[in-house]
Amino acid sequence: MIVTVQKPLDEILDSLSPYASVLIAGCDGCTQPPRGLREAEALSRLLELGARSRGKKLNLKVTTHPKQCDSYLVADNLGPESSGVEAILSLACGVGVQTVTQVLPDKVVLPAQNTLFMGMEAREGGTFEESCAACGDCILALTGGICPIARCAKGLLNGACGGSSNDKCEQDPQKDCAWCLIYKRLRDLDRLDVLRDFRMPRNYRTVARPGRVNR
Amino acid sequence: MDTAVTQPEAGVKINEDFCSRCSICSSLCPFEAISKEPETGKIVLQIEKCQVCGLCYSTCPAMAISSVYYDPASLTAYLKKAKQTYGSDSLVIMCKGSAPDMVGVEKLFGISKFVPLSVPCVGRMPEEVYLRALTMGIRDIYVLACDDDYCRFDKGSAVAGRKIMAFNQLLKQLGYGEAITLKRNSLKVRVDKDKCISCGNCVFYCPYHAAKLLNGSPSFDLGLCRGCGLCVSLCPAFALELENWERERISSLIAGLSSGMKNPGVLIFHCQWAVLPPIAGDFGSHVRSIELPCAARVDMLHVLEAFQSGVAGVLVAACPEEDCKQEKKGSKEAQHQVSILKEKLSQIGLGDRLHFCYVAPRYPETFTAELEKFSQGIGVEVRKGGR
Repeated sequence: MIVTVQKPLDEILDSLSPYASVLIAGCDGCTQPPRGLREAEALSRLLELGARSRGKKLNLKVTTHPKQCDSYLVADNLGPESSGVEAILSLACGVGVQTVTQVLPDKVVLPAQNTLFMGMEAREGGTFEESCAACGDCILALTGGICPIARCAKGLLNGACGGSSNDKCEQDPQKDCAWCLIYKRLRDLDRLDVLRDFRMPRNYRTVARPGRVNR
Repeated sequence: MDTAVTQPEAGVKINEDFCSRCSICSSLCPFEAISKEPETGKIVLQIEKCQVCGLCYSTCPAMAISSVYYDPASLTAYLKKAKQTYGSDSLVIMCKGSAPDMVGVEKLFGISKFVPLSVPCVGRMPEEVYLRALTMGIRDIYVLACDDDYCRFDKGSAVAGRKIMAFNQLLKQLGYGEAITLKRNSLKVRVDKDKCISCGNCVFYCPYHAAKLLNGSPSFDLGLCRGCGLCVSLCPAFALELENWERERISSLIAGLSSGMKNPGVLIFHCQWAVLPPIAGDFGSHVRSIELPCAARVDMLHVLEAFQSGVAGVLVAACPEEDCKQEKKGSKEAQHQVSILKEKLSQIGLGDRLHFCYVAPRYPETFTAELEKFSQGIGVEVRKGGR
């Protein structure tokens, strides 16, 4: 899932201030929690209360649709619904915001979220951890299904750095040491042999940034 | 300087002078809070373990156990008054945990007019109350208990069932016929598949593993659902509703209560089992409360709605984590949701207007103290010691 966090309300209120009418657009997509109708309604209420304390009144409408990153879905759904509003406040990730911008050029599209990373939610504790760095050269088959590029602070390829203690990372003791996890997983699989292979430095040109591939 | 620490008053007490040490209470207590001291034979209540279900107090043959909640005197006073107000000789005693709205109750028992009495667990009703009601002119008593596996106090519903069966026999001999009709109910989740976005949030959060998302389609094993409402409060698409605690119904409650209170006011959202409100009386003209089947059903949108309708402060009261009747998960999640919203509210200067507290009815004063402290902090007048 894509992990996003809501922008500070002051920042959103500032960005909305020039516009007389705004459509808050949820995205029933890949963010966790899905920034759907509930989140859109909640944001609308928070903004209304925030504007009230600034002595202002906002004209807000609320909607939600799946996949703001899909230009056809945006054109079909957000297109007609945004007629008559000046700006769209998007609850989608950065991809969604840009897709809507491209599909509906006569609208101002503003982000309500900061997009952080691709990751998963821990069952306990409600924390999200990054798990894929979209590096373009997946080595999960060799690392017991645990990614050292995304989950090791140093992105090491050939084992732990020596700084981990009690299976935690020296850079942040709250985070697991990815290489300790990899070692344990491979040990359980009885595949520690794969760690004997020396891995060459990573090819950073697997995807030339900005990425572009044909279907 | 006076450094004496005053022990908080407990909501349930055993009067040793009356206790015959028969041990019925300790054998019935679902929470092992009552035990017999092996050496002295004395019956002791460990109040920290007590969940204030009232089973012991309603079953004690020596009337040695007292509870500050729903005692026979205040129940009788209520019944006298309510009989006039509602103008009916049918009484419905219902457990808050499973009672639908008034129309639902009418349908369930096939009656049209009745005196309502809702209590946290019907197992806490002493026979004395039924008798008083009958002598007061009540002709039919209907009791609505939770389904056995839905009872938040494990044995409460079963004990109520057995008591009523025996008591009906007695009433028959006394010439009242079988005056008490018992029914069972539970309130569960409903899913609107058209609104579902197949995100799987309900599956992730359900404490009972009742939610399933197979081939993208949601389904609930209602045999497992215990009606906490956590999935409903967290569903991003409003695809779920909890029977009797529908979103719109709570919204209209908020609208009604906030317009009916003096400004500035405090609206309390509390778990039915964390705060046991008085049978008559209130917290004062600046305070209103909404009770929910678990703090997990406190929907952050409803909290925002309360602020929008002009309420000055919102207090959310939940059971301490270890007391939570919903797999110890409901109140913890509620605390988490409130803390997220509080952080957002603080960005617009309203952070101190929302307060969360863990309270248990075992010490009635904890909640009133929290309410007073919070209200004073935001400049709202509250009736002192009002419970």
